[in-house]
Amino acid sequence: MSALYALYADGDSAQRAINALQAGGVSRDAITVLSGEPIEDQEFFETDKSTWMWYFASAGGLVGLIFATWLTRMTELAWPIKTGNMPIVSWWPNLIIMFEMTMLFGILAAVLTLLVTARLPGPRPVLYDPEIMDGKILVGVVNPANAAAVERALSQPGAEIRRSGN
Amino acid sequence: MSEASARKLSDDLLRPLLQTSWRFYVLVAFLGAIVLMGLGTWAYQMYNGFGITGINHPIFWAFYITNFVFWIGISHAGTLISAILRLVNAGWRRPVTRCAEVITAFALMIGALFPIIHLGRPWLFFWLMPYPSSRQIWPNFRSPLVWDFFAITTYLTGSVLFLVLPMIPDFALVRDRTTGLRHRIYGVLALGWQGTPKQWHRLESAMQIMAIAIIPVAVSVHTIVSFDFSMAPVPMWHSTMFGPYFVAGAIFSGIAGLIIAMAALRKFLHLEAYLHPVHFQNLGKLLLLMSLLWAYFVFAERLTIWYGNEPSEIAVMYVTQKGSFAPLYWTMVVCNFVIPFTILSLRKLRTIPGCVIASFGVLIGMWLERFLIVVPSLGHKYLPYSWGVYRPRPVEIIITISTFAAMTLLYVLFSKFVPIISIWEMKAGDHPSPALSAAASHEHALGETHA
Amino acid sequence: MSPVSSVVASFGGRESLMAHKWGLAVDLDRCTGCGACVTACHAENNIPTVGPEQAGRGRAMHWLRVERYWEGDFPDVQLKFRPVMCQQCDAAPCEPVCPTYASHHTDEGLNAQVYNRCIGTRYCANACPYNVRFFDFFNPQWPKPLHLQLNPDVSVRGIGVMEKCTFCVQRIQAAQIDAKAGKRELADGEVKPACVQGCSARALVFGDLNDPESEVARLARLPRGERLLEDLGTLPNVTYLSRQTEG
Repeated sequence: MSALYALYADGDSAQRAINALQAGGVSRDAITVLSGEPIEDQEFFETDKSTWMWYFASAGGLVGLIFATWLTRMTELAWPIKTGNMPIVSWWPNLIIMFEMTMLFGILAAVLTLLVTARLPGPRPVLYDPEIMDGKILVGVVNPANAAAVERALSQPGAEIRRSGN
Repeated sequence: MSEASARKLSDDLLRPLLQTSWRFYVLVAFLGAIVLMGLGTWAYQMYNGFGITGINHPIFWAFYITNFVFWIGISHAGTLISAILRLVNAGWRRPVTRCAEVITAFALMIGALFPIIHLGRPWLFFWLMPYPSSRQIWPNFRSPLVWDFFAITTYLTGSVLFLVLPMIPDFALVRDRTTGLRHRIYGVLALGWQGTPKQWHRLESAMQIMAIAIIPVAVSVHTIVSFDFSMAPVPMWHSTMFGPYFVAGAIFSGIAGLIIAMAALRKFLHLEAYLHPVHFQNLGKLLLLMSLLWAYFVFAERLTIWYGNEPSEIAVMYVTQKGSFAPLYWTMVVCNFVIPFTILSLRKLRTIPGCVIASFGVLIGMWLERFLIVVPSLGHKYLPYSWGVYRPRPVEIIITISTFAAMTLLYVLFSKFVPIISIWEMKAGDHPSPALSAAASHEHALGETHA
Repeated sequence: MSPVSSVVASFGGRESLMAHKWGLAVDLDRCTGCGACVTACHAENNIPTVGPEQAGRGRAMHWLRVERYWEGDFPDVQLKFRPVMCQQCDAAPCEPVCPTYASHHTDEGLNAQVYNRCIGTRYCANACPYNVRFFDFFNPQWPKPLHLQLNPDVSVRGIGVMEKCTFCVQRIQAAQIDAKAGKRELADGEVKPACVQGCSARALVFGDLNDPESEVARLARLPRGERLLEDLGTLPNVTYLSRQTEG
């Protein structure tokens, strides 16, 4: 495995490199972009939205609500035991359980969605440079088909071009 | 952030992980000894019987329940700072969030132990969990103790996830900076984190969702803890105000705990460049606000009782204010209101030491407040023939002290193995989302280092 | 007038049994404060004596206690007694708060305490406004030969559980079994809890509140009948007949 990548000091240069790579025919999936912190003022790939997580979290909350409603009602009816003149299926206390389970399942659904879509836990990254933790942004291509073209695209001002692998 | 300043940031905040002085070992040994003593005392209590405590008829709840409510209250620090400040995009939260979230996680774990410690048959505590048992019986969902179980489980799960997920990128950093066994362990903990934009987006979305979800959960947790009292027909317990009163008190004691923790970290881990006086002043203002809110609730409750003149409630109110509990009561008022109000409303006094003094006062005052809610009411219920007196026994005092040692120990150990300030969040302050206005971007400067 | 809130179950036919609703009446005029009821309760229900040190710490376990009140100043002092036991409330605040259903309501109007389900949270004791619930702080000891005094019909409670007056449910059940075996109905006054049996002044009357002809139902209807802490809404099933005489 060989990779050709460059480290950039700011988001703008990295964005230019990405644009140049895509203009040169490299597909989006083949471009690796890594950073040591979220670069929120850049949209490296325009369609990288993660709004689906909200739907999954809400769906998880709904599952929690249904589960808690069923659990409280089923257990209270399964062995009806009178306590303190309260009804066998007591809605006021059941609402509390239903609320907690809704929130719990919603949170768990959000976390599960995160782990699955971010592919965590995942294998050791194929292309990596510890210098991204010092504020650099890594843009590169693994096993480039046309190494010279990739190197040209990566050659933005301020880039440090590196090779890894063989 | 320039490369040099980013590297300095990483160096400073990783130093506690990579360098250890002899003082760390001494501190851990000392705290560990106290914690072991507490655990041993608990084992002694389980072996010799619950009778070695000071509990009697009619005061069936005392120190352990006070501690339970106190520690669950402390746990509200993390939520307020982390989640609310994150949602309002306050930049000054960045160095503070993980310190606060750690307090929440550990305070919850300690607080959740107490419902087990105070049981007559603690080995059967799992009967509060809903599982298909061979006895074919389920927990009683009408009981506030079962609500406690669900609420604390939800809050603990949510808080731990809220704490652990943003640790993943920092584990990747530590992985990159270490070698050998540490490198391998942190590599496992980093879960193969790469730092692609997609991963960052997903992480931040998940944090946003959890921040929104954890706030109502936190409010519900301490409300449900207050329901342990307000659902019982006991004078001065059966109050409709207990929910908001307890939540306000929890946030109050939580902020005090956070200020103390931050001051200790700043001093002992040399984080002066990251935890600025302005952070403490902001938290000090919040503490002042909560002190006023606490005083408002106490006033509203006692005015209502005094005006209503119902004999059993008046008896309890007067025994706390004028009777045998009066020294504790007035200490509580001074610690919770007089001292914080004086120190925190005067800018000259609202320094880091001033905030820490006020916070210690608040911790003492809030512990006393929990005690004064539990014990005087139980000692003076509706039938005066059965009124009683409570004296704590050594076992309860030792266990109480050991929980403070346990909290400190857990905190010290955590800051040894995980960066106590979230490194990636500090760096991210340099790249605020364009959705924020220019004024908010200036706030992010507070998260920066002055390198 | 004691509110009759439980349902009268009739399964059709004259042979069917009405559901009982057990109640107690205490005539405060007759009570002399002798304490025989307390002793009888201890003997019948295997209640331990905790010893002077524990009693001094407030842990005496008298399921039934005789409260003693002094009124007035010498020489016009009056002494009044009130035996207080579990009121077997219809709307018992101790029942919904128990997380394990150890404290619950039976179909015959009793508040039952199931020792095996109790994990000792002591919430029920806090919720009880009458302070009639007790906790086993230690394992009770009956050094030989005192173990011979234990009543085999009543379980001996271990450490960490709550206990309280049961209206001598073992005697109720024994009488019901007898009646069923004899193919007859229970007669009024056939069931006598230990305190009722032990009272020399016949101040305590026990019976079925659902039977309008029973003695206890008649006493509950008397104008001088009152309930303890009635305004709390617990719907107690013990009627106290207030004193008519002075001194």
